[in-house]
Amino acid sequence: MKYIDFKDSVIKHALEKGLTEYELYFTESEDISASAMMHDLQEFTTSNDAGACFRCIFEGKMGYASTELFNEEEAIRIVEAAMENAAVIESEDMVFIHEAGDIYQELEPVKTTEPTGAQLVDLVRAFEEQLYVADGRVIEGSQTMAGYGRTRIALCNSKGLDLSCEYDFTMVGAEAVVKEGEEMFSSYCMKADDFAKFNTKELADKVVADAVASIGKESVASGIYDIVLSKEMAATLLATFSNIFSADAAQRGLSLLAGKEGTEIANELVTIVDDPFCKETFLRMSFDGEGVATYSKHVVEKGKLVTLLHNLATAHKAGVVSTGNGRKASYAGSVSVMPYNFYLAKGGAGTCEDIFKETGKGIYVTSLNGLHAGADAVTGDFSIASEGFRIEDGKKSHAIKNFTISGNFYELLNKIALVGDDLEFLTPRASGCFGAPTIMIKQISVAGK
Amino acid sequence: MLPKRLLEEVLQKALSTGADFAEVYVERTKENSIFMIDSKVDSIKDRLISGVGIRILKGTRCVTGSTSSMEREALIACAGRVADTLNGVPERMSVHLTERIFGDIHPIKIVPDSASMQFKTDLLKEGYFAAKNYHQDISQVTGTLLDVDHNILIANSDGLLARDRQIRTRMMIEAIASKNGENQTGGCRPGRRMGLEMFEQISPKDIGTEAARQAITILNADYIKAGNMPVAIENGFGGVIFHEACGHSLEASCVSIGQSQFAGKLGQQIANEKVTAIDDGTIPNAWGSFNFDDEGTPAQRKVLIENGILKNYMIDKLNGRRMGMEGNGSCRRQGYQWAPTSRMSNTYIDNGPDKNEDIIKSIEYGLYAKDMGGGSVNPTTGAFNFSVREGYIIRNGEICEAVRGASLIGKGSEVIMDIDMVGQNLATGQGMCGASSGSVPADVGQPLIRVSSITVGGR
Repeated sequence: MKYIDFKDSVIKHALEKGLTEYELYFTESEDISASAMMHDLQEFTTSNDAGACFRCIFEGKMGYASTELFNEEEAIRIVEAAMENAAVIESEDMVFIHEAGDIYQELEPVKTTEPTGAQLVDLVRAFEEQLYVADGRVIEGSQTMAGYGRTRIALCNSKGLDLSCEYDFTMVGAEAVVKEGEEMFSSYCMKADDFAKFNTKELADKVVADAVASIGKESVASGIYDIVLSKEMAATLLATFSNIFSADAAQRGLSLLAGKEGTEIANELVTIVDDPFCKETFLRMSFDGEGVATYSKHVVEKGKLVTLLHNLATAHKAGVVSTGNGRKASYAGSVSVMPYNFYLAKGGAGTCEDIFKETGKGIYVTSLNGLHAGADAVTGDFSIASEGFRIEDGKKSHAIKNFTISGNFYELLNKIALVGDDLEFLTPRASGCFGAPTIMIKQISVAGK
Repeated sequence: MLPKRLLEEVLQKALSTGADFAEVYVERTKENSIFMIDSKVDSIKDRLISGVGIRILKGTRCVTGSTSSMEREALIACAGRVADTLNGVPERMSVHLTERIFGDIHPIKIVPDSASMQFKTDLLKEGYFAAKNYHQDISQVTGTLLDVDHNILIANSDGLLARDRQIRTRMMIEAIASKNGENQTGGCRPGRRMGLEMFEQISPKDIGTEAARQAITILNADYIKAGNMPVAIENGFGGVIFHEACGHSLEASCVSIGQSQFAGKLGQQIANEKVTAIDDGTIPNAWGSFNFDDEGTPAQRKVLIENGILKNYMIDKLNGRRMGMEGNGSCRRQGYQWAPTSRMSNTYIDNGPDKNEDIIKSIEYGLYAKDMGGGSVNPTTGAFNFSVREGYIIRNGEICEAVRGASLIGKGSEVIMDIDMVGQNLATGQGMCGASSGSVPADVGQPLIRVSSITVGGR
């Protein structure tokens, strides 16, 4: 059964059950990806998946049920299951099916180049060879990958909303492994862009240079250091703790930012923006997972918390309007609160070299490992295995390994002392697209030798 | 789930351009979860996952495709897209499937999907309120009761046709303790490859109590001071140290391409002689068990390390080809959208020669890691980190005050040499292990062990 017929069938059953408030959310994606290793194509994957989630308000509660199987039997099952599930809910939070009437931003269509499978295969194979050319120490076991994905989201509801949008992008990545003596060192890069714009030679040179630069086994003495976080790691840390800006987390006692709107929560150098229309990434959405119109907003402005991110339910509870951040991690999930393109805005401290110069002596962190284990978004505490370089005499010097940086993210926001102007975004994740420039943080605890 | 004739047709299409092996994996999974927060049932997830994964091999080249459609045209088209990446002539075309029935060694008494909502929410509430009512400083509790009914069918060009139904149940209680504007968390998350009869063995009340006890303990603890010290790591989830620091490096996916610290070391000493480590997918009703793996090879018990000597790896068909070895029941995938590869099942360090009390007594100043959090590892270099969820200082051979914020960092190949005492209270803990073939349930385990010296991160 085609989705369009499935949709009609679901709506028919919902009406037969006497439901007056319901929504059907649908996603469909096509992906192709290829990877190369040992001078050959290693893996090639193509997928074509779709799923739909029905939710309805039944006796004042919201119930959900989802499926990937589009047939008559499932059309009936998801309606009945959503009603049964609603009957078990005890939460007294108000629930909403959004009314039509918002004004949605018109997104300029982005012209992207859709690669064929054969083009991706050629790209990863050529890219792998570029790694070996970049440095003689690069060994087999290094690998490259590329993938193209297109996602379409459609939402229709009983209040007359019928919305859809589509976005696509290509990603390329490489892991370069270099051998020095018996030891192996590796570096990893990943970039999202339009297929036509990739310069794999440049990427290969950079990832190999990073792997070569990381050769060395030196650690550092435990102590308190000024830390420079690379733009990628600053964005990674922001992504890890982004949930503290969710009103849902705050209202449930899972974020210490509850009730801090309008107060200083960070150094005045810190401005954090959530932009659903950002031109530098590919995640562009004019409506959220509840059908509310999205807009660009400052979440933190010069250190002051302007707003938390809201969906319809959290906004109702707080007596404000939704910020259009009701989002789902996948079609099957319930609506939670998530950002779109969430980034630490550029500052005036220049490039990372300028920041090294200003810092004088410290540690430059270029890799953070095991964030899912070493960082607790509820408490803000982190203790993260890191790799990087010493900063000596205002310059990047020896590679260092096997040390952890630890502290508390809420405190860290106040310790940010320099913010660069080299803002860059990470590749998109389910929870949003995160970006940051290089930053320097004062007085961070480091455990090494 | 799909007629045999259609499976054969799809396999033939997949083989049509010269692949030497083709496989169809059909999945139908029902996932239910009940989530509680603020002392109320907050949301219910009710999801049907349904789709087909097609894989072909040509030597060591692997091509996969997937579709969520079960219709003939979509399946043939998907097989065609997969086949299009090769441009040879068919080596073999005729496929005749013969069904094989594996015995099910994981009996299920109460199939969760057939139980009433009321029965399930009552179980969850018992755990939830045990945590909530544990102490006045418990400010928030979340509780999840998850059940999964995972039905798979595997058909391949060697003629195999096999089905399995894997039912799993898990309860996860997370407690937050707050005092003076500060939060600390505790958790308990047992799971089994079982139905709801799991709670006849493990009481929900104990799950909730344990989560809250841990949160309160850590709330009242001070930060540990960083440094190098001996560490005693307790049983159960403590086994994550072996899982992360060594287990991943023993998976054929990284051994076969020379990216493992243990590649080419079979028969050599890689661990302290007190260490014997096993990966066993055959333990009845254990969280990481299965009857056969995701390419149809029966589950096995594999001794990976015996008295410190490397004996075996976890091997799947594709990487086995790269290594000149056979698959040994270690190939796993989360579902139809993932390409399968070698993974762990239930992996543990076996009981050793030391008495537990002697291990604690032997430490003049060090850390007792009673419960571990998650961790990660770079398999190329073996560099790892784990967070210590609940830790205590050991002073003069005695366990003293609780400490917070500790993490253990080091290198896999070094730390298993440094496991110099192995106790006798083997127990397992449950986790979801994430890697290239998705998130799969895995047990970790060990008895109490001593690592002679390790870097402890703190502040």
